[in-house]
Amino acid sequence: MNVYQPFRMRIEERIDETVDTRTLRLKFLDEDVAQKFDFKAGQFGEYSVFGAGECTFCIASSPTRKGYIECSFKTIGKVTSAMKDLEVGDVMGFRGPYGNAFPLDKMQGGNVVFIAGGIGLAPVRCVIWNVLDERNKYKDVTIVYGARSVGDLVYKRELEDWGKRPDVKLWTTVDPGGETPDWKGQVGFVPSIVEKAAPAAANSHAIVCGPPVMIKYTLPVLKKLGFTDDRIYTTLENRMKCGIGKCGRCNIGPVYVCKDGPVFTAAEMARLPNEF
Amino acid sequence: MSTTTFIRNEDLKGLVADLKAAGVGVAGPARTTDGAVDYRSIDRFEDVVLDAQPRTSLKQFFLPPTEPLFKYRREGSDVAILEMPAVQPPRVIVGARPCDAAAVEILDRVMNWDYKDEPWFARREATTIVAFACPGGDRSCFCTTVGLAPDSTRGSDLLLAPAGDGYVVEVVTPKGQKLLDAFPKRFGAGPGVDATKAYRDKARASVDGHVPGSPEVIRQWVQTHFEDPFWSEIALRCHGCGGCAAVCPTCHCFDIVDEPETLTEGTRRRNWDTCQTALFTVHASGHNPRHDQCGRCRQRVNHKFAIYPSRFNEVLCTGCGRCARVCPAGQDVTEILTRIVAMATGQGGAA
Repeated sequence: MNVYQPFRMRIEERIDETVDTRTLRLKFLDEDVAQKFDFKAGQFGEYSVFGAGECTFCIASSPTRKGYIECSFKTIGKVTSAMKDLEVGDVMGFRGPYGNAFPLDKMQGGNVVFIAGGIGLAPVRCVIWNVLDERNKYKDVTIVYGARSVGDLVYKRELEDWGKRPDVKLWTTVDPGGETPDWKGQVGFVPSIVEKAAPAAANSHAIVCGPPVMIKYTLPVLKKLGFTDDRIYTTLENRMKCGIGKCGRCNIGPVYVCKDGPVFTAAEMARLPNEF
Repeated sequence: MSTTTFIRNEDLKGLVADLKAAGVGVAGPARTTDGAVDYRSIDRFEDVVLDAQPRTSLKQFFLPPTEPLFKYRREGSDVAILEMPAVQPPRVIVGARPCDAAAVEILDRVMNWDYKDEPWFARREATTIVAFACPGGDRSCFCTTVGLAPDSTRGSDLLLAPAGDGYVVEVVTPKGQKLLDAFPKRFGAGPGVDATKAYRDKARASVDGHVPGSPEVIRQWVQTHFEDPFWSEIALRCHGCGGCAAVCPTCHCFDIVDEPETLTEGTRRRNWDTCQTALFTVHASGHNPRHDQCGRCRQRVNHKFAIYPSRFNEVLCTGCGRCARVCPAGQDVTEILTRIVAMATGQGGAA
């Protein structure tokens, strides 16, 4: 078995998130592999449909939830379109886990602020559940999540759960014009909601993931609130093939996203050339 | 190891015949039907062409242009994976150029970076490289700039250099010694390394000074000039065809694709790819972080002379000059590097 050969995984569940986004819950076919498999929040993998090819996504489920992994994808290209056509019970491929992780050990004992936009909630959700499953290790947990419209919000059932929890401060928002008559959340762009939510910067870490424009305008807000560059994390996605530092595709200047990332601090991001 | 021995021209022919008789694959630089010289399978030593640089490098023997990673067969909702052989048949490459042999060893670094690329190393283990000291290069050659030479032993198992009625054989690795031990009658006493000095000196003189400066000077300039008009200028000439990467002994970027053969069966392959095309980095969303040829030309130079050296302490270039020779637009790596050195030392800038 060479490094490019995937584990076989069976689709246990399909959850439709939006008009074009779906979550798949996958279980290893091989019980031995399932027992040994371990990963850290923030790592990614190469998912494949045999006959269509491979695709790179984060692992969207939490490492605290054993026995399965989940991925969430938007049907946009060849492989994700093929993934959309798979049924519960079908077998697909997975290689991983690859890359670094969010440094949860550094965040323990402090506050955590999660800021996500659109499908960017997928890699953040992995960390959210990791933190919530070990809730006593952290102080305040704040989640700010926004999407273009109500219909574009992913993980709706979980948003409802988080909203009900007394130990989570959840802010959901949609872009102006994206609200429905019965929408009870905020209306406005993520950076302005972060300003309103104003999480304390002292002893806090922020995890930010979403469209580039959201990240661009959120970072100054966090800075204004007192977050330093080394306490703000994001996760990058670049086109990848191997995921293990060989195929030469994911370079941003000297950085290999697959090996040095996908998790970077804002300080590390600031040093990267503008090629992502 | 620095053992030397000698092989007569007749015994070299005999050695290839012996290898073939023993069922070992033999490859070397030989004429194609269209008259060009490529590394290819050969039946006899007489077919080996030593006075012309092969168009393509040794890369194909370790990272084939297209290579199956595994086969799959769908069975209802299930899928069976058929593994590829983990061991490769033995092969000896006779007549490798030292620059091409060095490239293979340079690539071992990335192929073993935390994850071992088994298909690469299966071929590495099965292959013995018998290099011949280079007779000398043309204007595009610059191996001595990147720390190599026409008679470098890097990456070779044996290095041969002509003397008298045969070749002085330098044993470079235990694998090379093993080849000697397997065919002891083919090797014997003869002139020593000193007898090849004139040949080696002449070869070195033919490539020296084509690119002045050192890889370190180039690395420092490239690392500190990500944004520089120089990259846009050289990109104007580039068609983005990727010919440079195809003939390059060290370009190793690849793609992984599924090729269905029937509705239920197919092969996952890896194929050579190149950072010189727009499709290389484009996201499914349409966003392309490396959105113009300027970025792609910069990436090729950056990867070879800055990224790889800072990761692996190796320059990802052997100075073979193939990219300059193959380019339909006349993009010349020696010119690019010479200008970088000039800019780094304050003697030039973008035109």
